[in-house]
Amino acid sequence: MTMNKSAIQFSDVSLSYGTSDNRVEVLKGISFSINADEIVSIVGPSGSGKTSIIMLAAGLEKTSSGAIKINNEDITNLNENALSAVRRQHVGIVFQSFYLIPNLTALENVLLSLEANQKYNKDEEAISLLTEFGLAHRIHHLPSELSGGEQQRVAIARALINKPAIILADEPTGNLDETTSKNMMQLLFDYTRAQQTSLVLVTHDNDLAQQCDRIIELKDGNIV
Amino acid sequence: MFNYQQWLFIHRYAIRDIRRSYKKLWVIAITLFISLLLLSLTFSIKQSLNDEIKSNSVELLGGDVQINSGITPLSDERLLQLSKLAKVSQTVNFFTMLSKPGEGAVFTDLRSVDEHYPLYGVVQTEPAGAREKLLVETGAPAVLINENIQNQLQLKVGDELKIMSTIFVVGGVIVSVPDLTNSAAFGEFAIISKNEYDKFDLRTAGSFLHHDTRLKIPKSNDYDSIVDAVQSLLADDNNIRMKLPSDSAQSLRRIIDNFSNFLNLVSVSAMIIAGIGISNTLLSFINQRNTSIAIKKSLGFSSQTIQLIYFYEILVVLLSASIVAYAVGVLSPLVANLVIPASFGISLQPSFSLLDYANVAFIGLLVVLIFSIPSLYSIPSIEAAALFRNTFQSVNLHFSAKNILYLLILAAILVAYFVLQTRQQTLTLSYFFAFFVSMFVFYGVAKFLIFVLRQLPAFPNNTYKIAYRNIASKKSLAPIITISLGIGLTLLLTLSFVADNLKREIVQSIPSMAPDLFFISVNKDEKEPLEVFIRTLDSDAIMEFNPMVSATFVALNAKPIESLVSRDNRSHWAIQGDRRISWSVEPPEDNLIIKGEWWKPGNSEQMLVSMDSRVAEDLGINVDDEITLSILGREVVGIIKNLRQVDYRGMGTNFAIIINTAFAQQLPFEYVGTLKSEHPSGEIQSQVLRQFPNISAIKIDRILSKVGQIMNKIFIAVTSISLIVIVIGMIVIVSAVMVQTSLRKYNNLIYKILGVDFATILKAMTLEFAIIYLTLISFSISAAAFASYYVVENIFTLQWQLDWGLTLMLTASTGIVTFALILLANKNMFNPAVYPLIRNE
Ligand SMILES: Nc1ncnc2c1ncn2[C@@H]1O[C@H](COP(=O)(O)OP(=O)(O)OP(=O)(O)O)[C@@H](O)[C@H]1O
Ligand SMILES: [Mg+2]
Repeated sequence: MTMNKSAIQFSDVSLSYGTSDNRVEVLKGISFSINADEIVSIVGPSGSGKTSIIMLAAGLEKTSSGAIKINNEDITNLNENALSAVRRQHVGIVFQSFYLIPNLTALENVLLSLEANQKYNKDEEAISLLTEFGLAHRIHHLPSELSGGEQQRVAIARALINKPAIILADEPTGNLDETTSKNMMQLLFDYTRAQQTSLVLVTHDNDLAQQCDRIIELKDGNIV
Repeated sequence: MFNYQQWLFIHRYAIRDIRRSYKKLWVIAITLFISLLLLSLTFSIKQSLNDEIKSNSVELLGGDVQINSGITPLSDERLLQLSKLAKVSQTVNFFTMLSKPGEGAVFTDLRSVDEHYPLYGVVQTEPAGAREKLLVETGAPAVLINENIQNQLQLKVGDELKIMSTIFVVGGVIVSVPDLTNSAAFGEFAIISKNEYDKFDLRTAGSFLHHDTRLKIPKSNDYDSIVDAVQSLLADDNNIRMKLPSDSAQSLRRIIDNFSNFLNLVSVSAMIIAGIGISNTLLSFINQRNTSIAIKKSLGFSSQTIQLIYFYEILVVLLSASIVAYAVGVLSPLVANLVIPASFGISLQPSFSLLDYANVAFIGLLVVLIFSIPSLYSIPSIEAAALFRNTFQSVNLHFSAKNILYLLILAAILVAYFVLQTRQQTLTLSYFFAFFVSMFVFYGVAKFLIFVLRQLPAFPNNTYKIAYRNIASKKSLAPIITISLGIGLTLLLTLSFVADNLKREIVQSIPSMAPDLFFISVNKDEKEPLEVFIRTLDSDAIMEFNPMVSATFVALNAKPIESLVSRDNRSHWAIQGDRRISWSVEPPEDNLIIKGEWWKPGNSEQMLVSMDSRVAEDLGINVDDEITLSILGREVVGIIKNLRQVDYRGMGTNFAIIINTAFAQQLPFEYVGTLKSEHPSGEIQSQVLRQFPNISAIKIDRILSKVGQIMNKIFIAVTSISLIVIVIGMIVIVSAVMVQTSLRKYNNLIYKILGVDFATILKAMTLEFAIIYLTLISFSISAAAFASYYVVENIFTLQWQLDWGLTLMLTASTGIVTFALILLANKNMFNPAVYPLIRNE
């Protein structure tokens, strides 16, 4: 496996919702490829299909036509269980609303990502990552006891701990204030670079988009 | 499929989840606990009741087997063989004169007993321990007498009495003997030792002797095989009659049968109710956690793993609930002993058995498996995609073809496993069947309601619109709510109706089964003077006299009846030994003719017979059949003219067989009668006996107190079980409420944010509930009335009555409690601050 192999590859992917008379065409045959150590941002007006791309890449949505490869594996026709396997091995997701499991502590939330991959008893690894994220004193707290920024740092740790090939982040800082956002993104950039993980970042923030290696701009379901 | 590490993870995760959110599992735990408790209670009540009846009836019979060899004793050879099988005790009964010089003599039922007598129970005497004096060989032999003899001959302990030509000394007064049934002996009754009897040397005297041999089978031995062995030992002698304990508890048979039927119904219902409760609470549990489930999926956990985690949690809950439930069930007799007044004479023993526990736990496991499948299979339909769009829709029970197949297989195993353990198998099977049918009915009701609402014009009213949307929307939970509430309410009503009818019968039976005195051998000419005389003693006494002769059932359509009816036939008692038969011109009051017709007066040549319909059914007797009765030694063939529903609840003597008066008048007959009086029965008895020396007056309150004890026990059991049923009924309703809570909370908050005022939301909720509940009530009441009618009339063979007061009370209180629960579950709607609630969602 060489480093320049593509992590994500969309070939002529279309996505539409609804039945014939009431059809919404969200993506109209888009193609792009993201390399294994690339950081790419997706921008575009609301409703242009950014989230849809992330969902397709995560295997949480099925294409209407076209093919998607994750780590060179065609996932277009995989079943539910196989998609789960691809997701837990190669993909980390960061949501706008953090989505930590409310009755698990920060540490347990991070461990869960390892446990999905049958890696057990890796507490030390998780603790050291959380410590690097400045959460040493919050390891055993429940999400409800953490601030938004802290929650998002836990969520990023959860996505990274598994050393996935791809991180998908849909407006990860949308719920945070400016300084917190900046710190957060710095963290994310540093770690993805260090681990040579590809990052797909959906954002409305132009500054942020500019810091990425490449920008994919969407409009009306097409890449412009 | 899963390796050890993964199982370990599932185990750890589940345990941690339970520890942290046990509050959300408590409804499941309590549902399981109560229904398993009810299950183990019904098992243990059945067991302890059977034991109680068995020990009582063994005492009443005086042994595990009673062998009556008539005027001759069993041969020494036979006795030797019997003594190898069991402990043997011999008694001889005969009537003779007891005389006290100067005071006169009384005609007495004299019983001679060997040293083993009584095999069961004790002979109570005044002074205590006088029974031992019978064994003393030195000096004048002892005799024990009863109160009547004591009164009539003015005797005291130590006085001399002459029997035959031997002088006896009164050793004590008999207070009670355990085996009362066939000694019609509370007229004048005395006991001497068998040794003294042997000295009379009556063998050649041709007296009318009753030789009884009773057996006590050692506890460790196999009862049935010994009984069989005894039977084959005696089979070659037609003069020998064998009696078993089950034959002596006849008066209780019906109620005991009914009661165990009732228990079956209850335990089937308990499981089903628990099942619905589990499936509902689990569904709401899953809905409350759909975010967590979606997150796990986004991390790459498969639906299967998540299902296993939750299933594992339920299993842990099941395990603990079943242990606690079984422990409480085992210990409940001790609590019952504390609660039940001592005067009932009931003392229950807790009995623990690992097998019983396994049984309860296994049934619980099957129920959990069956009812958690449709809930757990809703997990695959929770999508991680929702995390991107922030939309969480509540999921519904999931029925795929594969699911339904699993469900059918598991349900078949459960039904088979359960039914095979019960005695009334077809009946139990039909309970299950009725339940499945009513599930479909209520599903239909829900769909019908939605259909009707959609047809109605849209009222331009906010309250109505909200209520309408909640019921008739595409993702509505109305069908689940309707099924759960409907089944819960129907079972609640059915069981209450059945229990109500059963209780009524028991209450009526307790006093009516306890007349104080029983008169037999009342001469034709003595009947009226006796009635007049009793009136002078107590003008309010309730008396009933019936003419009767003794008859033995010999043959049916010329075939020997013994060859047609097996010993475990429910109505075997009717063909056993001497039965009293009576006659009348009109059918007895309350006895409904259900087949054939009553006869016209006359026809003295031909014996016409009216028969208890239940006995007839059991023995396979029909109208126009010929039965042969042996009446006073003469065999008479009669024709069955009609079958009658006998109401055994009356205080009178009830007769399974009644014949036509014209024929009966040619027979030499006597009267039997019952008396109930406020006055002390002993006094009436001795006055009557002094006035009418030929009549036997038996004080039966002692016999009946045993019957009464069992009745009381059943009554208490029925009452307490109905209370528990109400509790589990409520649990289903709670679970039904919980299913819709999370969805409703969210909707209500949105309405509130949109500015719909509180009063409108409240009104809409009330309207929605009223629409569903009122639709249900009519269906539930009809279904419950129908089901309870069927059970009460056809299975219990009682007269069914619908208690409207009870119905109204149950439906109203269920409605109120349910609605109160709905409001309680949505209590944060009353909170004025809306926004923080949304953030916490
Ligand atoms: N289930 C669905 N059915 C029909 N249309 C849908 C569905 N889900 C999304 N859409 C449509 O797809 C389009 C793209 O949605 P998407 O969430 O990808 O946009 P987006 O670029 O992420 O927008 P935003 O910046 O507002 O998050 C939208 O117009 C939306 O209305
Ligand atoms: Mg979006």
